[in-house]
Amino acid sequence: MDVRSAVSTPVTQYTHRRSKSYGRNFDATSRFGYTPGQLTITRIQTSRETAKARKLTEKVDPEQLALLVKKEWKLSYVTPLYKFRHTQLKIYSRHLSAFIMAEKQQGMAVEVGLEAGFKVTFSTVLGMAETKDDAETVFIQIHNKPVFASEGDAPKVVWSGWLTCINGDPEYLQALPPEFVSLPLFCSSGAESLTFMVKSWFERTFDCSFGSMGLDPTDLHWLAALWTGCHSDNNIRSLKLAWTLPSQPPLDVSLTVNAQDAWDLWDKVRQQDSTDNSISIEEVKRFITGIESHFFRHFKVYLSAGVLKKVSTALGSVHLDGKIKITCSDYMITVLTLLTECAILRTPILPGLF
Amino acid sequence: MKLRTKMLKPFRKVPVLNAANVLLVENEEQLQSRLADIIVQNEKDVNITVRLARKLPLPVENQDSRPRIDLVVFIVNLMSERSVQSAEQSVRYLDSGFFLGKVCFLVTGARCLSVSSTRLLTVRKMAASLHCPLLFAEDQTSEGVIAAAVRLLGILKVAAGLVPFATGLSLNSLTHCMMPSDLEQQLDSPT
Repeated sequence: MDVRSAVSTPVTQYTHRRSKSYGRNFDATSRFGYTPGQLTITRIQTSRETAKARKLTEKVDPEQLALLVKKEWKLSYVTPLYKFRHTQLKIYSRHLSAFIMAEKQQGMAVEVGLEAGFKVTFSTVLGMAETKDDAETVFIQIHNKPVFASEGDAPKVVWSGWLTCINGDPEYLQALPPEFVSLPLFCSSGAESLTFMVKSWFERTFDCSFGSMGLDPTDLHWLAALWTGCHSDNNIRSLKLAWTLPSQPPLDVSLTVNAQDAWDLWDKVRQQDSTDNSISIEEVKRFITGIESHFFRHFKVYLSAGVLKKVSTALGSVHLDGKIKITCSDYMITVLTLLTECAILRTPILPGLF
Repeated sequence: MKLRTKMLKPFRKVPVLNAANVLLVENEEQLQSRLADIIVQNEKDVNITVRLARKLPLPVENQDSRPRIDLVVFIVNLMSERSVQSAEQSVRYLDSGFFLGKVCFLVTGARCLSVSSTRLLTVRKMAASLHCPLLFAEDQTSEGVIAAAVRLLGILKVAAGLVPFATGLSLNSLTHCMMPSDLEQQLDSPT
């Protein structure tokens, strides 16, 4: 984290400044950041820590970890939850399954459908929280008990999701009132109708609000650079980038860079500024510009005129629409730190006002 | 030096009575022709010439036949990084005399902040450091293009000296882009 920016713009200062800036147009517009139409915190991250391999299996139960990796998750941001207790997870499971059953049966005549019962489990994934301000990760699974199942059939998982906060901004977390728990990143995988129901239940029970989180091309650049930097420890096999160019008809460009070449480029970029532990945004920009100018030299196409949509390596993949897949749990903390930060930045200061 | 001949100088040529010339620089060449049509149609009293370019430096061959440029407008499309880069490179070919009220930035695509927020801050930083006004335009609707053209026409007439008691420099001091101080701190990379 860039310590200077965190110190100079704490959240409490923002609520004070907002009232001053209503008269001055240029101040207010600079705060309308990432979430369209909503007032959010604007902060440019200028440096990050390099991704270090951390064997998460020492801290986290490997079975729980296996549920989180190798699946594609759709991201949303969540505002802080009011009176959420990690001790009452069993009660929450019962309430949520009752809610889902009620929603499913709403408006329908009594019907013996194939989905007779939903069983919801809430569990805590201990060991993932990095700082003392981070709340523990909560994992939710919805199992489906089909009517005509025989005794031995295990219930099938139809939906899973998790709420997490990894390395959240300490100023922001400490500024929250005491009854609020902040788990700003919500990842879901499964049927859209179930996702909607889980979100409505959370919104009703904890007075929070969800919003779909899209990513910035800059975030994708960060992840491309961080993953390439891991190549020396953990082979990324190749760096795949996909752009969409605004030509008529739109052109999709997919570039696969050999892992060693990407690593050499990244190494050269790093040699010019050699702070060992942190990566600056200038280095990331030089890395991406290097790849784009290499492409221009061969194909005479300016990739910077297009939009970078997807980045994937053997360690994971990320899509601009807000989809993430982590294949290797070693670098999970770094990726989740970046995504938690994005979620906090996209959370509106006054949700629902605009 | 080669760079000196390529640079566009503001006071090299003599101004012509009741005339104003504006140069629209845009990498994508989409908005400039529409703006040019409307600017020329809207003004009947003054002789307006609109010159279009993709980037600076301007071709040397035309240097003698080109009239004196009163206002240079850089049109930047925030949806494309290339557009921002092209504007940054073109700005270097303007003589420093231009930045006293004869340059303006026009930005489109700022509505879709999910893709363009960092680019908008880059363009703002550039406009603020060069002391130029930063205008936003809506280029998808015809009303938006007309509104942008009318604004540019207003600035052009002041820059060309056609408005009594107003000069380009005085208008510039009122309308130039400013950066809020905390954002300025964040954009400067930590040393």
